[in-house]
Amino acid sequence: MKHVGRSVPGRNNVISVAGAGTYVDDVRPAGRMIMAVLRSPHAHARIVRLDISAAAALPEVSLVLDGASLAADGIVVRPGGAFANFTVRQSDRVPLAVDVVRYVGEPVVAVVAVDLIAARAALELVDVEYAPLPVLADASAALTGQPLEQSWPDNVMVDYPFSKGDPDVVLAGSDRVRRGSLRCGRIAASPIEPRGIVASWDPYRETLTCWASTQSPHVLRTLLAATVGLSDSAVRVIQPQVGGAFGSKLPMFPEDVLATVASIRLGVPVAWTEQRNEYLTAAGHSRDVGCDYAVAFRPDGRITALTVDLVADLGAPTTVAGWAMCIVTAGCIPGAYQIDDVRVRMRGVVTNRGPWQAYRGFGKEVSCFVMERILDEVARATGVDRIEVRLRNFIPSSTFPYTQPCGWITDSGDYEGTLTEAAKLIDYADFERRRAEAREQGRTLGIGFAHELTPEGSSRPDSLMGGTDSATVRISPRGDVTVLTGVTSPGTGNETGIAQVVADALGCDLERVRVEQGDTASCPYGNGNYSSRSLTFGATSARLAADELRERIEAVAVSMLGTDAGRIRIEEGTVHGPHDATLTLDAVAAEIYRNPHGRHMTGLPPGLEATRSYRIPNVHHQPDVDGRYNQYPTWSFASAACVVEVDEETGVVRVEDFVLVHDSGEIVNPLLAEAQLHGAVLQGIGASLYEEISYDEDARPFAHTLREYTLPGARESLAPVIGHRSTPSPFTLDGRKGVGESGISAPAAAIASAIEDALREHDVRLSRAPFTPARVWAALNGGAA
Amino acid sequence: MSVPISTIVNGQSIDLAVDPRSTLVDLLREQLGLTGTHVGCRTASCGACTVVLDGNTVKSCCVLAAEADGRSVQTIEGHVDGERRARPGELDDVQEAFVQVQGMQCGFCTPGMVLSVRALLAANPDPTDQEAKAAIAGNLCRCTGYVNILRAIRRVADERAHAKESTDV
Ligand code: FES
Ligand code: FES
Repeated sequence: MKHVGRSVPGRNNVISVAGAGTYVDDVRPAGRMIMAVLRSPHAHARIVRLDISAAAALPEVSLVLDGASLAADGIVVRPGGAFANFTVRQSDRVPLAVDVVRYVGEPVVAVVAVDLIAARAALELVDVEYAPLPVLADASAALTGQPLEQSWPDNVMVDYPFSKGDPDVVLAGSDRVRRGSLRCGRIAASPIEPRGIVASWDPYRETLTCWASTQSPHVLRTLLAATVGLSDSAVRVIQPQVGGAFGSKLPMFPEDVLATVASIRLGVPVAWTEQRNEYLTAAGHSRDVGCDYAVAFRPDGRITALTVDLVADLGAPTTVAGWAMCIVTAGCIPGAYQIDDVRVRMRGVVTNRGPWQAYRGFGKEVSCFVMERILDEVARATGVDRIEVRLRNFIPSSTFPYTQPCGWITDSGDYEGTLTEAAKLIDYADFERRRAEAREQGRTLGIGFAHELTPEGSSRPDSLMGGTDSATVRISPRGDVTVLTGVTSPGTGNETGIAQVVADALGCDLERVRVEQGDTASCPYGNGNYSSRSLTFGATSARLAADELRERIEAVAVSMLGTDAGRIRIEEGTVHGPHDATLTLDAVAAEIYRNPHGRHMTGLPPGLEATRSYRIPNVHHQPDVDGRYNQYPTWSFASAACVVEVDEETGVVRVEDFVLVHDSGEIVNPLLAEAQLHGAVLQGIGASLYEEISYDEDARPFAHTLREYTLPGARESLAPVIGHRSTPSPFTLDGRKGVGESGISAPAAAIASAIEDALREHDVRLSRAPFTPARVWAALNGGAA
Repeated sequence: MSVPISTIVNGQSIDLAVDPRSTLVDLLREQLGLTGTHVGCRTASCGACTVVLDGNTVKSCCVLAAEADGRSVQTIEGHVDGERRARPGELDDVQEAFVQVQGMQCGFCTPGMVLSVRALLAANPDPTDQEAKAAIAGNLCRCTGYVNILRAIRRVADERAHAKESTDV
């Protein structure tokens, strides 16, 4: 029986449901002390005076760290990741503010005490005097204001322009042109488990063990070791169970360094667990991107030229991974649409808001919002149906692999397939009847559509996020299988999918395969979990290793059965030879270990262990003649359709039906893949209607708790109808693509489309997500939305 | 400074001293090592810390440890009957359903969610979708979109109704 394709429940379910999971805050090494962090209350200020002596004098306090002492010790985080073909400015960072604070929530002082109550009491005694500095409250202020970073000429951290053809000429020569502005609100990934680390220095062995709620233990190890001046091999990072991540736990955070430095100085384990207000202000946001666009089109809705000028508010400059999202936003325009004359420019600017950190979608969701809003505008201007206008502009299925205007190479696609199916599943053909019926009950319904593109498997040059991962498959003398993998699962279930792939490759029972992840001491080097890569990279590495062992097993089995190669088959742990002869895999494994010099092993390498690293194809890091590269090997996609009800009195929007038809190639585990999509869709709906990190004119954040930053609860949820289609990638083994990020991008555009459709008599434009009741009401009543 | 309290946790009587500033979740996690109760916000917003206090679900991050004095607390580590700790792997039908229909991903919200679902089904054996949603509205889950959690609730309700029917006949 094949295991791939079966809906097997997640392997960690029983642990979770019993409350028996060990998360980082449950790791309690003996002698553990607690770290707490004092943070800046100002968006921008000079530190005039900082006196830690009263805090340090408390008997329960063992250590107080400030920026000056760290800088004196050379504790500096250096940025990584180079881009040869456009401007990226980065600076070194000390994990605690030195002289100046640049956002509300920036770490200023760290205290280590016997417990949290004592640590907090000590923070109260830290004496800091700030002199406020002029604030860059948003991107437009940053574009004209003084540079935040002394060594930069301005506040532009990223400037990424590219073009194809000559859109200006086409726009100038076209009598059908629309121009507009769009904006996506700032949001926060908000896993329910906050960040955390336990760092434990062993002063005798001179080794460091860290348990961290991280997505990438190996990468964290390398970054931490480099920052505190240890060899990589002296550091072990263990990822305990992780309570959700969604990109937001990619390494490395300032607090990781602080806990590590503290543990080394004190020689005891030091634990830091984030509080929610720290998360919301300082752990990193995403989106907060605006753009001006111009689009030219023919009467049939075919787009002839497009220019998009984007500005992203990256918040305060940091060294965490999030800022790169703005590059992806630009690169994914025009995405699914074939437009010959295009110019895109992204300027990512630094401000005094909180920094960016990676979040599911990683910038693609903004491109999706921009493109889908523009397609709707073209549909409206031409009177062409919204489905039809998309079909007329999609990259035709026959033209893949397709080179995007930015140079990235889209592997495969059948966009028409998912969109037409979404329209069918939402029963678009019958919608006018449904609308009229609702009208009679005094309810206002609208229908909307959006198409999302999800390039994945991000493989950046000169970074520890490259296009490879590793796995070891080890079969014991009794035939038990252990898979050690460099990818991790912060709740996504890839351990289950990897076991399915390996069981199929070996022909063994699923129950015999154990998957170990998240420990640098046991697992081969890997980059961890991000960019929907765990099955494309992780499972494929594991399969290559399993295939190698399978070959050896087959050779030995053939010899043991006295038959010829090609005359055996392996199923469910049993080798079947000619004339009903059988042999268990366990017996073959025993033979390989017990008789390495025996006759069945002649010419074969001993043992049953293999490590393979899979380097994914369709990644190009040697720039071509235009200086372009491709960092995305596979491109999943999905089409969404939704029906919303709008309360015209209040502007309140409720999503009544949501359909998502996705195409991620072959699905390893439909139950887990759908579960991912359920979560992604509701996160997408959250960012469309309920969630926004907002700041006042002095860049002070409004949200400090989950009462201000309102995550969707069960009452805001709905069960999306999920449709699967499969267009295999021509590049990957088994044609597999990723699924983890699919489903989050389309909701904002689909919901905007549906709201506008509901209010079509009023000719309303929704240009700014989230579509809060106030914004919808304002749009309806002639204001800006 | 500390105050003495006596409380019953998962059926077991316990006398201990607590810091009057500390919360019930700290008592459970830090003093008793019952780490199945999680902390996601400390402002009564997320429900990860949900436990049962004298028969009612509460958010233990917003209950003082001292308030447990003279009362009985049930956590995810407790057996569903409230009399003792559950043995490893001993699951009730709510937990079973969560496992089978994949009512979780990262598992961080799951203990609190299970306790809220148990309370719902004890009070309302056949909840509508809206009632089920309202009952878990105080338990945030960022992973599942609640879809499979609601499926788990339906499944338990149906199974119990079915079991009751067969015994009634
Ligand atoms: S930790 Fe108690 S409700 Fe969130
Ligand atoms: S399963 Fe992750 S928060 Fe609910």
